[in-house]
Amino acid sequence: MSGRVIVITSGKGGVGKTTTNANIGTALAKMGKKVVMIDTDLGLRNLDLLLGLENRIVYTIVDVVEERCKLKQALVKDKKNPNLCLLAAAQTRDKTAVTEEQLKEICEKLQKDFDFILVDCPAGIEQGFQNAVAGASEAIVVTTPEMSAVRDADRIIGLLEAKEEIKSYKLLLNRYRPNMVNANDMMSVDDVVEILSAELIGIIPEDTGIITSTNKGEPIVNDEKSLAGQAYNNVARRIIGEDVPFLNLEEPKGMVAKMKKFFSNLIGKEK
Amino acid sequence: MILQNLYNKVIGFFRQTDAEQQESTKDTACNRLRVVLMQDRTNLTPELMERMRREMVELLSKYVEMDKDALELNLEQDGEQVALMLSIPVIRAKDEEEIKAALAKEDEEKAKSEEASEAEEDINDDDNEKDEEDSEKYEDDEESEDGDDIEEDDESEDAEEDFKESKKDTEDK
Repeated sequence: MSGRVIVITSGKGGVGKTTTNANIGTALAKMGKKVVMIDTDLGLRNLDLLLGLENRIVYTIVDVVEERCKLKQALVKDKKNPNLCLLAAAQTRDKTAVTEEQLKEICEKLQKDFDFILVDCPAGIEQGFQNAVAGASEAIVVTTPEMSAVRDADRIIGLLEAKEEIKSYKLLLNRYRPNMVNANDMMSVDDVVEILSAELIGIIPEDTGIITSTNKGEPIVNDEKSLAGQAYNNVARRIIGEDVPFLNLEEPKGMVAKMKKFFSNLIGKEK
Repeated sequence: MILQNLYNKVIGFFRQTDAEQQESTKDTACNRLRVVLMQDRTNLTPELMERMRREMVELLSKYVEMDKDALELNLEQDGEQVALMLSIPVIRAKDEEEIKAALAKEDEEKAKSEEASEAEEDINDDDNEKDEEDSEKYEDDEESEDGDDIEEDDESEDAEEDFKESKKDTEDK
């Protein structure tokens, strides 16, 4: 078995890299794939929180690198899905504790036992980014329809294109707000795709459920009713090669629809 | 609270229809992004672009008489390809003798500088390289000598102002 190593990156912080990682990982595992997630954000680890695994971490990636434990010992199994594992980042060390070579080696070892290795990349374009990318051959660039996030994504795409090991990269548009797009107050999917001229792998709508699911330590893909959860599930299906149409996120258009929405919102508020 | 919500919603509802008539913030964002990404991708600062523009004016005025202040040089993106777009409002074509005179004058200057010291010869070499690059761009500009060039000028002037503004911003920081 030779698993696919996918790095999830963005340049800008706070656009949803870690959330994306947790959800895609969980979705792939639910489909029966063997998945391991590597948190490379040394000193600022969060992937454990999103998965609700923060109390189960004994060893971290730094312990593996410094040979205080074996690689297998450091893999934390998910609570619900035995197909899903986490290799946590060290919280007390900085980005220099692991080198590009060491990360590459870890990825190569994990490729033998897992279908997917998802690498959670830290924000920025410094060594942390270089490390995270080192072992990967595919990338998902997360961005939001905001200027700063798109600009940083463009920079990241430039850096990824310069890397020979990265064979393909895809764009994931996060925190999309269809009502703002309809009011022409937010860049649309087409705008972002055209500006970055990159292939799209998913559109995730802004969803308050992301916050509540993080509160619980449970990825939103487990909630099948949530739109963001469905969107993440679709991303996972596209990753394994299924041809899944993009969710219809557009809100009703036209005067009548606007009135309807307007009144239904009003009624909703008064309850 | 409920009343205030109601008021905001009613106002917001009517404002939304007004806003559609103005340039949307979305368009502003797209345009600003395109300009800034062009700079990021090419490493061409507004100063360099202006210098390139001036050099282009100098070069091309040997062959055509043009509105020097209206010559616009912009980077535009067409899919994955970044193109250098040159738009020149031509006042009139120069006649053969004028062009010959201009070229002869240039040759004379070149000959003079070749006689000068070795150090100066190095600079001359650089000039020759530049001429080669420029001649490539000259081909582009022949294609773009359509009528609609002049219409674009206002927009691109704005873009240039934006360049300067954004530069100031970064300097402030």
